[in-house]
Amino acid sequence: MTEEWEKCIRLKEPLVTRPFKALLGLAGFAMLLGILREVSGLGYVTGLNDGYAWGLFKNWNVTALTALGSGGYAVAVMAWIFNDRKFHPIMRTAVLTSLVGYGTGMLALGFDVGRPWNFIHILNPKTRNHHSVLLEVAVCMTAYVILALNFENMPPFLERMYKSGDPERSDRALKIFHYMQKSFPFWIALAFVLPSMHQSSLGSLMFLAGDRVHPLWQTARLPLLYLLMAYILGFACVLLVLILCTYVWRLGWDGAILGRLAVVMSWLTLWWLVIQFVDLAYRGVFEMAFTFDRYSIVFLLQTILLLIPAQALQIESVRSKPGNLLRLTLVLIIGGLLYRFTPTSIAFIPLGNYTYFPSAIEILMSVGFTALAVVIFLFAVKRFAILPASQGKIAAEAAIRPFDTL
Amino acid sequence: MRDDLSLPVPPTVRPGLDRRTFLRVVAQATAAIGLTSSMAAKVVAAVEKGVRPSVIWLHFQECTGCTETSLRTSHPGLAEVLFDLISLDYHETLMAAAGHQAEEALESAIRKNAGKFILVVEGAVPTKENGIYMQVAQKTGLDIVKHVAASAGAIVAIGSCASWGGVPSAEPNPTGASGINKILEGKMVVTLPGCPANPYILLGTLLQFVALGKLPELDELGRPKFAYGRTIHEHCPRRAHFDSGRFAEEFGDEGHRLGYCLYKLGCKGPSTHASCSTLQFCEVVDAWPIGLGHPCFGCTEQAVAFRVPMLKPGEIVRPTPFSTYAPVAAPQGFINPLATAVGGLIGGALLGAGWMASRGMKEKPDSPPHTPPPNQNPDSPDKA
Amino acid sequence: MDVNRRDVLKVLLGGTAVTAIAGSTAHVAKAEPDTIQPLDDAVGLLYDATKCIGCRACMPACENANGLVPDRGSSHGLYMQPEALNSQTKNLIKLHVAADGHERSFIKQQCMHCVDPACVSGCPMQALHKEPHGVVGWDPGLCIGCRYCQIACPFNIPKFEWYRVNPKIVKCELCRHIVGKTASQPACTKVCPTHAVIYGKRSDLFAEAHRRIQEKPGYYFEDRVYGETEGGGTQCLILAHVDYSKIGLPKMGPQSNASRVRRVTNVIYQGFLTPVVIYGGLVATIRDR
Repeated sequence: MTEEWEKCIRLKEPLVTRPFKALLGLAGFAMLLGILREVSGLGYVTGLNDGYAWGLFKNWNVTALTALGSGGYAVAVMAWIFNDRKFHPIMRTAVLTSLVGYGTGMLALGFDVGRPWNFIHILNPKTRNHHSVLLEVAVCMTAYVILALNFENMPPFLERMYKSGDPERSDRALKIFHYMQKSFPFWIALAFVLPSMHQSSLGSLMFLAGDRVHPLWQTARLPLLYLLMAYILGFACVLLVLILCTYVWRLGWDGAILGRLAVVMSWLTLWWLVIQFVDLAYRGVFEMAFTFDRYSIVFLLQTILLLIPAQALQIESVRSKPGNLLRLTLVLIIGGLLYRFTPTSIAFIPLGNYTYFPSAIEILMSVGFTALAVVIFLFAVKRFAILPASQGKIAAEAAIRPFDTL
Repeated sequence: MRDDLSLPVPPTVRPGLDRRTFLRVVAQATAAIGLTSSMAAKVVAAVEKGVRPSVIWLHFQECTGCTETSLRTSHPGLAEVLFDLISLDYHETLMAAAGHQAEEALESAIRKNAGKFILVVEGAVPTKENGIYMQVAQKTGLDIVKHVAASAGAIVAIGSCASWGGVPSAEPNPTGASGINKILEGKMVVTLPGCPANPYILLGTLLQFVALGKLPELDELGRPKFAYGRTIHEHCPRRAHFDSGRFAEEFGDEGHRLGYCLYKLGCKGPSTHASCSTLQFCEVVDAWPIGLGHPCFGCTEQAVAFRVPMLKPGEIVRPTPFSTYAPVAAPQGFINPLATAVGGLIGGALLGAGWMASRGMKEKPDSPPHTPPPNQNPDSPDKA
Repeated sequence: MDVNRRDVLKVLLGGTAVTAIAGSTAHVAKAEPDTIQPLDDAVGLLYDATKCIGCRACMPACENANGLVPDRGSSHGLYMQPEALNSQTKNLIKLHVAADGHERSFIKQQCMHCVDPACVSGCPMQALHKEPHGVVGWDPGLCIGCRYCQIACPFNIPKFEWYRVNPKIVKCELCRHIVGKTASQPACTKVCPTHAVIYGKRSDLFAEAHRRIQEKPGYYFEDRVYGETEGGGTQCLILAHVDYSKIGLPKMGPQSNASRVRRVTNVIYQGFLTPVVIYGGLVATIRDR
């Protein structure tokens, strides 16, 4: 039996394990803290101040984590637009990571805004400000989650409905599935256009801050860099999730898919770095990267964390070792997230003498939301056929529970 | 008669008081309480017409301090007031009559000037048990004040006692002492709180009534704004010391001797509306509590006087900036050490877990059942 | 199949290029003018730091006129002692002292009411908007509390009520709730004893500022008034004899950040043309698959 991933299966492993309970606890705790935030006010639960008005929720959960959650977007480009059929087995995993990444990101955003009851006015074109990049981000992200992501994540759910044994439900599932097949191009095109728009707009957000973002990061190329980094981190996240899942649940090591993901990711990263450095030189701020002040060190760190994995993953013998692949992917993720996170926080220099560090509650809430994403992921892969499996895994599953079709 | 205008000796009354002196008196009187010279002309005109408004002065639960203080004015002096400016038709302390004669004088004054006389009330009126705790001629204070006020043209409560209850109303207020504005609900009562009230405030109010036929502008408690519009703090000679943080910490210490701000000794100036800082008392410079080195105890304010301990610092209602300035880039925000610890722990834990996970990975993962890994794949990764 | 793939690649590359690097292209057709000019009847303030004596009468006056609760800072309740503009302080006098102690200047900090404000450009809901006479006002009925305005403002003016469940954005609005109704000028200019800060039409204030500069050449810093062109121009003008950047007024070029952003958003969202084109192209090519 080969180790290639053939089809998606539903994991039969028990859902409630110790790690699951721990994560659920974290997520639940974060929700309680969220209630605390709602009844008391942002100042009491976060370390935000008037100089650093955007903190962990916006910069980490939204900007950084939705980049990780761009797996669905990035792999979809490969699988459906470049028609690389090989990636079809991992599509469901990828779009699931997108759904949980974006979902918990929007949740954090919901806790972060100060006056959410006025959100209703977004529906009124007269009161919207069409020049605002933030409006574009908000509308686009919401549309993406509600329309494209939900559409892309329907198949495993429909499949389960279909095989449930109840004829009425099977019928309905089939009908919905047929509709989906017919309207497929419309939804998938949306799943490309929408994230392209808002992932790049997340970068354009900082245009308005002008000189308040350190010159090493403030550039007219911000949208391009943010968009590319979303691709890169999307691949990285899918890679990370697949490697971990393979190890924990013994799905089988599909070196081809994983290797290809790693290669595409590494080439994109190298190109990203080139674009960034050419841009630095073009703007004449190249020397700033080597002044070794606080900003320069962060910049160099970010570069190194991206460069080393990118270079290393080019080498076949390196990326074929699972341990290496995991470590290098992790390092690259840290570097990429550092990039996405920095312009709105570390490289943001407000007028005055402000210091910001997230409060303990803020950190716990942020971690809790991320834990929630993992919890939902775990729940989904053990209830629906999402994770790809090799023949060996399929056989093993069948051996345990021969009568379960799903 | 003296010619200089500084401190005229009150002349004894004689008919045919010369006009020049009279004009001078009126001018000083109106100037003393801040009315313009055109008002003086109106007062003169009114007096020359023989219009001296009738004033009926009642006493209730009081110490007679407000009467005593009203005697101590010089521009105008009491004589000018009594004989030239008003007609004081009933005043228990000053009048010669007593007994039934006094009561008849009161009734006839009310009858003759019904609707036109000014009623001045000194002292609080007890209300418990139908007001039996203060009676004159077997009539309770409650009944007296209501009866007289019914025919009054204007009602002035002089002193804190008449304005809101004063000393008699301090805890536990066994007699139910109350200011007369509460008793005369619905009637406009000018209140001149103070313990005692400054006499020039009364004079100013009366003269304005005489000159213009109406009362001065009042605040929501009925106090004339020209006297009670500011707090002591807003017009205190020691304000510069307050603004710069120079305080007397104890009676008799260095700061106290140097005349520093008395806030820390319990001065209620910031929450007390009064004019003592400008008018002072007895026409002696610095004859008022703060001038003498004792913190103001808020005698005009119902919420402060006889309620808040004298030496306990009061609340500053309308704060103003301190004498130093914040730098252009004052430091804001701080790094919470607990948060750094939490963040560090979580970050470290995640990194550690990642590292351990990768260390635990062998060459290739076990997959059930274990078969040798395939060597080549058609779509080999190194195609790129 | 191959032809389709090439088409797809073309569409993708073209789309990505346009969508993501639009901001960096210089030769973009502009549908509306890039720079916004001040209104004819724009009003503002002229603050002359050389006339300010630091009495700070403007601070309690502003608190009273706006119904703000004074920030007592670390003074144990004694004084109004804000360290910076905040949700209880719309107007603040600060003192700059040079390290050698010889150069001193006061500075009055409040909203500069820019001609082309970054906060107005960034606010997704038009909660921050231009009122008549160019005053930048805030509308509580529209604000979602996203705080983008705090990120956008180059002077760091909008302040947020962090400790409330119903938080507001707090900043000077030139007393627009009383000017023209119960008052003819804002509270701060009304109480200033030396007329260091005055209110009027921006054009008149300009004329006055230039007159003062001409009267005393070399007296004011670089013989110019701050706010003439900075960031597209501001309606509140500052004159001082020290370097403006030392008193919290950042150096800025004449182009406003808002106009830079408009170039990007106009290109992409001019009738949503570009995204729709890409979308159509993708649908077609995917369908053909």
